[in-house]
Amino acid sequence: MAYSDKVIEHYENPRNVGSFDKDDKDVGTGLVGAPACGDVMKLQIKVSADGIIEDAKFKTFGCGSAIASSSLVTEWVKGKTLDEAEKIKNTEIAQELALPPVKIHCSVLAEDAIKAAIADYRKKTGEGDDVPEADAAAG
Amino acid sequence: MNASAAAAILPCWSCKGPVCGRALFCSVCGAVQGPNAADHFARLGMTPAYDIDIDALERQYFGFQRRLHPDRFAGRSGKEKMLSQQQATSLNEAYETLKDPLKRAVYLLGLLGRAVDLSACGTISDPELLMEQMEKREAIAEADTVEAITKLSASADADVIACQCHISAAFNAGDLDAAAELATRLKYLTKLAEDARARKGRLMRGA
Repeated sequence: MAYSDKVIEHYENPRNVGSFDKDDKDVGTGLVGAPACGDVMKLQIKVSADGIIEDAKFKTFGCGSAIASSSLVTEWVKGKTLDEAEKIKNTEIAQELALPPVKIHCSVLAEDAIKAAIADYRKKTGEGDDVPEADAAAG
Repeated sequence: MNASAAAAILPCWSCKGPVCGRALFCSVCGAVQGPNAADHFARLGMTPAYDIDIDALERQYFGFQRRLHPDRFAGRSGKEKMLSQQQATSLNEAYETLKDPLKRAVYLLGLLGRAVDLSACGTISDPELLMEQMEKREAIAEADTVEAITKLSASADADVIACQCHISAAFNAGDLDAAAELATRLKYLTKLAEDARARKGRLMRGA
């Protein structure tokens, strides 16, 4: 199955490749792997004092779909709050990139990576990630 | 041979005479038999274990495949042609699974009741393994001389062999959890070794 134009675009011109210092206290790091293909993905977020994701970087060793999925997610999360970023679903990633069924796990990997980065940031800053957000009022 | 299906005596579909479950042909009428429900080890006459005699495996497999060669069934009935193809397919699957150190480990874990699914969508977050892999993949991507990549590739190949030894030791000790964890590790190490080989090839061609 051929890659979609969007996957090729991200693969040839990946956004936000690189690293932050994982020891910085405003940085959250997510490191996840997909044993199905031996892929490894690192996704990092830099969070402002008011809880907005200012910047994001990734480094992925994997197929074109895995690289495109992580590239797309780093673009999407910028400017979002942690709660908003946490709501990104792999299905949205897969849909945006028109991933074929055999490549869905690449989008799962990207979703898990951003979730892991957020969890890591919350752990560092002492914000309990098990505390449910009071978002009932927002509904 | 553990599987009772392989040892069972079944009636031949053609002459109803008794046939050993693992037999390719009926010893009474000579008709080819369909594949039974034996596991991959039993199908190829191997003891179910991680350490296997690869030469014996190949002898068994190629010996069976010769007897099932389509040329031998040219003048036979449609049913016999079909059964011989089904046998060949089952033997092929068994052989491909058992000869590969990673597939063999995963398959044996499944047989022993400790299933690991390395083809599923699941993700892992083992920081030690992933950090190591990230660093080694970076080193391979950054290697820009044949000397440097040759060293990295040799080291990756050595890691694969070492991991297979550890898997063998884990199975021999009956530690299936360790074997399952090492199987995931072997998947990553195999990928890393392939990556290093590909990069070495490119650097040697001067690309």
